[in-house]
Amino acid sequence: MRNSRNTRAGLRGAAIVAAAAVMMAACTPSDPDAADDEGGTSGEDAGDASGGDLRIGTTADVVNFNPLVGNSRTDTWVTNLMYPSMMTLNSDGEKVPALATEWGYGEDGLTAWIEIRDDLEWTDGTALTAEDVAFTVTAVKDESLGTVSGMIGAMEDAEAVSDTRVEFTLSRPDGAFLNSIGFWMPIVPSHVFGEAPTVADFANDSDWVSAGPFVLTEVDRGQRYVLDAVDNYPLAEGGQANLDRVIYRVYPDVNTQVLALRSGELDLIANALPPSVVKELSGDDSLELYSVPSLGWAHMQYNMRREPLDQVEVRRALAHAVDYEAIRQVVLGGNAVSANSSVLTPTFAQWADDTAEEYAFDPDLSRSLLEDAGFEDANGDGMYDDVSFEMIYDTGDPIISTWAELVRDQSAEAGIEIELSGLERNTYLSRTQDRDFDIYAGSWAIIDEPQSNFVLLFDEEGFINYAGVDDPDIDALMEEASSALTVEDARGPLQEIARIVTDEVYDNVMYVEQFTFAATDQWTGFDPKPSELLSVVNPQSLASVRPAE
Amino acid sequence: MSRSRPEGMSDATSAAPADPMVLPDGGAPYGSPRARTWRAFRRNPLGTVSVAMLALLVLVAVFAPLIADYPSGYGTEVLSGPSAQHWFGTDNLGRDIFAQVVWGTRTSMVVGLGAAGLAIVLGVAVGVSGAYFKRLDTPLGMLVDLMLSLPVLPLMILVAALAGPSVSTLVVVIAAFSWPEVARVVRSQAMPVVTLSYVDAAHVIGGSNRWVLFRHVLPAVSPVITVSVVLTASRAVLSEAGLSFLGLGDPSSWSWGAILHNAQRSGALSSSWWTAFFPSLAILLLVVAATLCALAYNDARNPRTRQDDHR
Amino acid sequence: MAILRFGSLRLLRGLLTLWFAVTVTFFLVRLLPGDPALAVASPTMTADQRAKMLADFGLDEPLLLQYVNYLAQLVQGNLGISFRQSQPVLDILLERLPWTLMLTGSALVLTLIIGLPLGVAAATHKGGTIDRIVQIGGVVGQSLFVPTVGIALLYAFGLGLGWFPIGGAIDSDVYGFEAYISMARHLVLPALSLVLLQIGAYVLTLRTNLIDALGEEYCNVARAKGSSERTVVWKHALRNALLPTTTLVGLQLGFLVGGAVLTETIFAYPGIGRAIYESVGQLDFPVMQGAFVLLAATVVVANFLTDMAYGFLDPRVRVS
Repeated sequence: MRNSRNTRAGLRGAAIVAAAAVMMAACTPSDPDAADDEGGTSGEDAGDASGGDLRIGTTADVVNFNPLVGNSRTDTWVTNLMYPSMMTLNSDGEKVPALATEWGYGEDGLTAWIEIRDDLEWTDGTALTAEDVAFTVTAVKDESLGTVSGMIGAMEDAEAVSDTRVEFTLSRPDGAFLNSIGFWMPIVPSHVFGEAPTVADFANDSDWVSAGPFVLTEVDRGQRYVLDAVDNYPLAEGGQANLDRVIYRVYPDVNTQVLALRSGELDLIANALPPSVVKELSGDDSLELYSVPSLGWAHMQYNMRREPLDQVEVRRALAHAVDYEAIRQVVLGGNAVSANSSVLTPTFAQWADDTAEEYAFDPDLSRSLLEDAGFEDANGDGMYDDVSFEMIYDTGDPIISTWAELVRDQSAEAGIEIELSGLERNTYLSRTQDRDFDIYAGSWAIIDEPQSNFVLLFDEEGFINYAGVDDPDIDALMEEASSALTVEDARGPLQEIARIVTDEVYDNVMYVEQFTFAATDQWTGFDPKPSELLSVVNPQSLASVRPAE
Repeated sequence: MSRSRPEGMSDATSAAPADPMVLPDGGAPYGSPRARTWRAFRRNPLGTVSVAMLALLVLVAVFAPLIADYPSGYGTEVLSGPSAQHWFGTDNLGRDIFAQVVWGTRTSMVVGLGAAGLAIVLGVAVGVSGAYFKRLDTPLGMLVDLMLSLPVLPLMILVAALAGPSVSTLVVVIAAFSWPEVARVVRSQAMPVVTLSYVDAAHVIGGSNRWVLFRHVLPAVSPVITVSVVLTASRAVLSEAGLSFLGLGDPSSWSWGAILHNAQRSGALSSSWWTAFFPSLAILLLVVAATLCALAYNDARNPRTRQDDHR
Repeated sequence: MAILRFGSLRLLRGLLTLWFAVTVTFFLVRLLPGDPALAVASPTMTADQRAKMLADFGLDEPLLLQYVNYLAQLVQGNLGISFRQSQPVLDILLERLPWTLMLTGSALVLTLIIGLPLGVAAATHKGGTIDRIVQIGGVVGQSLFVPTVGIALLYAFGLGLGWFPIGGAIDSDVYGFEAYISMARHLVLPALSLVLLQIGAYVLTLRTNLIDALGEEYCNVARAKGSSERTVVWKHALRNALLPTTTLVGLQLGFLVGGAVLTETIFAYPGIGRAIYESVGQLDFPVMQGAFVLLAATVVVANFLTDMAYGFLDPRVRVS
């Protein structure tokens, strides 16, 4: 302290308080502002709607409001309510009409068509027509937007031949094409998105135009996303949603989120609940729990480009070293079903193979498999020499992070050393993209069309063929399956592929998760659908929710 | 580096508290300064209790394998509260939280001491150079001031996320943003020493810079280094917990932060208090003991009230 | 004149700090593993699209050129475009900044208001029970782990007693006076947790300085003149003890603003600290950098303002 103190008495204190006051003043103007946006919205003018506000918790903000670009869960939940899909799923995982009414393929499989409803319109009064569908699919193809662009490799051209009919030309027969775009691709308004130089750069962050049950009207980043019911939504009973508004509120921490639900600050949590929370909340009478199956699976893949994972004995040893039932019971609290170690999971009744059987938990079998393959434990430390693997996973996934530890501990019992590399999500994605791992632990959110999806998984060049599968038998079967235009024709080859995958341990499918969601008992009429993306917050569900009597 | 600093955790190293919690006997005429300090320290109940607490935690860390089995696998009693069988209850996989806290002591201590050690080396190097080499003082002082005015936790988050989570990342990250504090304190302590006449005399009789540094300057700053180690380590433990809590910790070792992160991600924080309470308590005990220990040490070392600090 | 010189030196110092913060983050982000190019480019892109994407964000240029460009844009108030949100970073962050300012600002004011009497009480009862409690309480406060305290507060006052809301910063559909009430109610718990965390440092320092001041000559003179002990404490000693205590405010700001990351996450408060954490998860480098620069700027501006106020009020100010 070189400053002399005696003369400056307390002034600094006053200065600080003044500075703090300036800060406070600086924030207050933004708030009345935020409140101002709310008056006179369509929901309140909607006349007979008196359904109130449904407050839904989510752990993340919307990252991108452009439904063709954004791919986070919250992005999907919010934009799904504005940009309709042509098809949706029923509880058996089958595609059923939504915006589309009928669809089909030409005789040779080289053309396809979709008929859509004629009674939908965007909230700015423009009719939703086949033109919007053609515009959307063309933009996706031309600009390689999102995951859908990977599913429409067979499409050459799309054309709106009338207000309600779109016709497609395909370069090869693809039995999954219509289902893929029907389910995955949200239709955007061509007269809005077409104005931007490129669709990919269109932020879509204000003046939203919706053809769904709700339209976004207010965004407070970090806090809430307010959607008002639109006057005219013919897909809902009564021609519009029962609710006045849907409000997504952001609670980054799941513990806080649950407290908010229990205190009545939230009506519903959109994120699937962690198993221990499910257990806790199931005893709460004021809450309703909804359970839906995943459309994908959780699995481990063994990188066959690396020794000794190129030996099937080693992969089998790894597969038999893990107690899958324990993982389902303990880590998932029983909220998961066995996939019978098959890539055709029981969620899709039309494909599943009843004869599939899960890898038995048998450390002794693992040991003898390894010994047969010539491995030994020379130094007597209980671990086989040269059998040490790095397993990567996303630390952002609490369930996988948890069972990864179990897999490590159980494999050690079988003499196999596994070193865990829990990675931040993007590092994890880049490592998998570079195929830089020994064992990969992860999950697919949705594998809904095995006919086309299996190519991504098992073709040598497949985009998500992490394990490095390169099997001529499978290639031939995939060819047969993808050109089949009916379920019956495709089932045989698909089941054969699944059997090979299980035998060769190309993919170790561990379980199909059952997601659980919680809402307060103030509400009724949810329409739960499979997968965490649709769950209870899909447009049909939120359009039909109403206050409980 | 001219501003006064807070006391307590953020700066018990520099300012000698004006009023020792228990006043040592001012200018005892006998014994070396070290012995006098030690006598005064022992008279302060807070000091001795906190040293005992720190010693206990170190013992737990060292003898963890004798106290509890390494927590792994899973158990049948999921999220059960504290009981005779599980003193601190169990977590979402039925693993014993007492064992986790015991083993966590080890990791947390390693991170704390590792980060502190690294920060001290850097901080002492910068601080002593600043005091000793006049030409370096201004630029180094500026660097330290700049570093001190950065919001540290966001920077740590950034680096830890990009560098990938592991114990060594944590140690380096925490050290990288803790050394300026040490440098500042060490410099202010070393400054009076280098201007003392015997240091000049040492130069006159031909002592090399190095000899002077090791013979005179370093011994003079060693007391603040001791205090710095304790404080920096305890702060590093808090930082580790914060980073681990946000999911940036080492997934393959139990630390107190890792236990808390596990409780957070499994959603057990709000329903099963014991999953968060005991690791938080361990952190609290360590940091409080370290801070009180440092405060008591400073009290004991400066029998009179800051004779050199203000004028 | 002196005040101008003082002001410009302080300004220069502030700008230097800001430049340092910008530079540190810029190079940290780019030199650490985790390729920004990977963050923007999606794996489904063709090589051409990828190249175009990188060019759009200027990521194909040499690092130093990128740095110069960034500084040039920054001077014009442009923080770049978010990788993920196709929106200007500044727009995204300006929505969040006021909340962080309000949270940390009110935590600061509360700390001073509560800390002052505590510090005085401890100093005037030196060695007594109150003193011990204040000292230990101060040390314990700064050793608490924020998220645990946060959840405990939420559980007790949010869910249990229902006095305060669990998350957010303001209710929707509130106007005028009600809006201020709503903001205040949302602010109480997060601000309280920050106050708990930092009040110890202030109280302990104030206590030490006050004890110091009470022993000074002028206090003895005042006593000799017959002033009551109360007058001596509040009129004479405290004025001098406050000074070094308040210098702490500027220095602690970095710590406080940084600590807001955990607080904002637990309390679902929509501030900028959370934006940093989220952008790290999304590898959104422009947002990450921008948020950090804004936080550093906040600290710099607050320091500058206190320095200037100080300088204006005391003509004999010197720059050390």
